[in-house]
Amino acid sequence: MYEFLKYTVKDVMTPSPLTTTPDTLLRELEKIFETHDFNGIPVLNHEGRLVGMVTKYDLLKAFIFTPDSPIPRYGLIMDRPASSVMSLDPVTVTPDMPLSRLLQELVELQTKSFPVVENGRLVGIISREDVLKALRRTTEA
Amino acid sequence: MTTLLYNHPVCMEHDMGYGHPECPDRLVAIYGALKQPAFAALQWRDAPAATPEQLIRVHPQRYLDRIMAAVPKDGLRALDGDTALCPSSGEAALRAAGATCAAVDAIMAGEADNAFCAVRPPGHHAEPGRAMGFCVFNNVAVGAIHARKVYGLDRVAIIDFDVHHGNGTQAVFEHQPEYMYLSSHQWPLYPGTGRSSERGVGNIVNLPLSPYSGSEEIRNGWATLLAPPLRAFRPDFIFISAGFDAHRLDPLAQLNFTEDDYAWLTREILDIAAEFCKGRVISTLEGGYSLSALAASVAVHVRALMEAPALAQIA
Repeated sequence: MYEFLKYTVKDVMTPSPLTTTPDTLLRELEKIFETHDFNGIPVLNHEGRLVGMVTKYDLLKAFIFTPDSPIPRYGLIMDRPASSVMSLDPVTVTPDMPLSRLLQELVELQTKSFPVVENGRLVGIISREDVLKALRRTTEA
Repeated sequence: MTTLLYNHPVCMEHDMGYGHPECPDRLVAIYGALKQPAFAALQWRDAPAATPEQLIRVHPQRYLDRIMAAVPKDGLRALDGDTALCPSSGEAALRAAGATCAAVDAIMAGEADNAFCAVRPPGHHAEPGRAMGFCVFNNVAVGAIHARKVYGLDRVAIIDFDVHHGNGTQAVFEHQPEYMYLSSHQWPLYPGTGRSSERGVGNIVNLPLSPYSGSEEIRNGWATLLAPPLRAFRPDFIFISAGFDAHRLDPLAQLNFTEDDYAWLTREILDIAAEFCKGRVISTLEGGYSLSALAASVAVHVRALMEAPALAQIA
């Protein structure tokens, strides 16, 4: 009944997730999303520090209509770097965070996944799907 | 009386490249609709090229020279990120601007009540010295000034219901109280101008509409914010910058107008034209990029123009 309360982020996160760099082009990001079906990818700088998160939403947002031109320059936008669309200073969580608290943040921030950081290093990523899986596992009859 | 339809084959040769939404097929779709038997009473006329004298009232000579010199012998020549010239574009642009002047002449000579100019390239983004947003010459501004200069009219109004704000037309007229420019458009959207605070010398009326606005918003906006100043202006001639890209099916914006809204808006304009200026209206094509929505919307717009005499008699 109360099994879920015992879970922490590290129990269900994906360790050592795929990451990208600030200068990765949007067309390369799109391929990653197509291949792996992630919601978001952590962006690491050359020293390996987390500098942002880039999501499918960020990618889509790059193509909306703006006052700059009557038609978005679809091809040129694909050649922009991840740094031009990523969220800076993303909300991070720690591996020891109770999953009940993580669930609360997922809902309140309407975020699909959080990077998991320990001692300044990225150690994993945790998504809605991971939490749903834990809920199913802990409530099975 | 009569509605004139100005066009020219060269307007279908102006081609800005594969996939560009401002494409020759727009005119194919429009002509397809207007060649139906219901439109048999339309009088089709070839659009003549605008003369240098007509164009220079809006565009400086050095701009005209630069544009004509930029027309390529083959291929495309970019004027901005979205606007390009092909070998036929120079003549198409001249005839698009000439159509409005010829329509003025015909209406002032009593040959017709009103006219629709099915021409491209469109014009309302073109500033005196700058081509932009698919536009080269400001066709409506050229026609409006022609009406005043040649026929001595006191007041000329321009109503622009294209989904984009007509920055070029506003730039031409914002310091000239003899002209009134009224525009409904989505905001924010290209080109970024058109806030309600932009009022010129009291002769500019902007109605910015939020994305997803539709029938209710445009009809209320017309009745409360656009029609009253237009009536107070007592126009001697009315031009319409007729873009149909506020339609709910258009891929370049997010407004939700329907064909009924365009028919309604056209009749409202014609009512005012009947009241103040003997029904004298010239409508000129601007945007509209869903071919089916464009054809259907132009059809109801032109149908309303053709039925205008009945309205004029009632008025």
